Amino acid sequence: MLNFFRRSPANFAVNLAESDISFNAERGDSLLSSALGAGVPWPFKCKVGSCGKCKCRLVDGKIKPQLDFGYVLDISEIKQGYILACQSVPKSDITVSVNLNENEMDGK
Amino acid sequence: MKFYVNARYLIVPFMSLIAIVGILFGGSFAWVGVGLFALNTLIDTLTKNIHLPADFDDSGESYGIKKLQYSVMFLMLPVFIALQVVLAYRIFQYNADAPIVINSFLGLSYQAGISGFNLIGATVSSGLWAGLGIIYGHELSHNKKEGFLVSRLIMALSGAAHFTYAHVYNHHLDLGHEDDPATAPRGRNIYTHAWLSHMGQSRFSYILEQQRLRKRGSSALNIDNRWILGYLYSLPSIVLFVWAGGGVGVAALFSVWVIANFLLEALNFMGHYGLIRKDGPVEHRHSWDNDSVFTSWFFIEIGRQCDHHVRGETYFWELDDVEGPNYGIGYFSLFVITLIPPLFRVYVQKHLENWDEKYASAEEKLIAQKFAY
Repeated sequence: MLNFFRRSPANFAVNLAESDISFNAERGDSLLSSALGAGVPWPFKCKVGSCGKCKCRLVDGKIKPQLDFGYVLDISEIKQGYILACQSVPKSDITVSVNLNENEMDGK
Repeated sequence: MKFYVNARYLIVPFMSLIAIVGILFGGSFAWVGVGLFALNTLIDTLTKNIHLPADFDDSGESYGIKKLQYSVMFLMLPVFIALQVVLAYRIFQYNADAPIVINSFLGLSYQAGISGFNLIGATVSSGLWAGLGIIYGHELSHNKKEGFLVSRLIMALSGAAHFTYAHVYNHHLDLGHEDDPATAPRGRNIYTHAWLSHMGQSRFSYILEQQRLRKRGSSALNIDNRWILGYLYSLPSIVLFVWAGGGVGVAALFSVWVIANFLLEALNFMGHYGLIRKDGPVEHRHSWDNDSVFTSWFFIEIGRQCDHHVRGETYFWELDDVEGPNYGIGYFSLFVITLIPPLFRVYVQKHLENWDEKYASAEEKLIAQKFAY
């Protein structure tokens, strides 16, 4: 119960699996905005949770989803731990797996 | 500076409360909301040439206070509920043939009972301010879980809870494309667009929910269907107005919903009229900006569509002039022009020609030629 009153840290560490890239996510900031702010070439398109371009797999740690991922991600993807980076706020240090080469903007 | 940046966005809350008080005072004060709309149109026209950038301090931090602005937005839900309750109260009095007399409360005189004429004023006032309040429904649709629900509830007061999903999953993704019902193609007038956009977005939300529930192996006909749930959120308003006035109540609520949704679709109409996106990401050039100072402050920067659609996650007080396509006048002024379709087509012609020449890609120009008029 006392955890409810405990203020969370000012930022959390975000580590990218399969690479040595890591950065900090400030409290309340989305994973995507933290990544872009740190200069990480994270794939994205709409930034409002409707296209799925920024999806990644949460390997370890906790995030708070801002929207229901079920509109964009399949059930199997959600079960595998996929999240939308633009709609995920880290709630602990996290490790994610993301394909940073997915930067080609597809049609519409 | 901080006070100025945050206080300037309180015009709608302040005027909404005045409209509510006007209905409570009764008599010709029931038309105050309509009068404020007219006053805003005048102010917007007189200040059309004043454009101000977003304000940041020397370290690049915005002066906007997130907690304050969000508190205001959340508080607008009870304000808009109060707007419906006071209208329902007046409908109840009208239906009960309450005598029209001057009473006093805490030293203030007000009119008990209401004439049919002034009830029309109260209804139109309520519709206008419920419609203008949709700016908060829009802003909150882009934010946290709790804000998303509050957005749905604000929109449900106008029978448009589907907007919250259609706006995020359809409009922001398909902007400028024929798959976006909220983007008006060239040649369409605002009246046709209001109907087609409203129905198109509701249909999109219906299909979106079907697909989501099918993925889960669930039937579309259950309480977890958020398209259905959105309309259920509007049920308390319907019950209130039926109880308050039967047929008169239903007619009044219907009028409020028509006016409010017309204003919502007018914003969609003005924000993207005639703009075309063939392929690729949404860019600044795929929206119209209306960011004269009064429009910016009144509509909490909803007029900065160019920046908003590229940075949908950005707080409204940080949206800026990105030198995108711009009508050069504010929303109130442009809205009046759109009400006369031939006048709007003449007015927008030069802006579209400018867009075709300076902003359109080669493929988009080809599409634009099909709409030549």
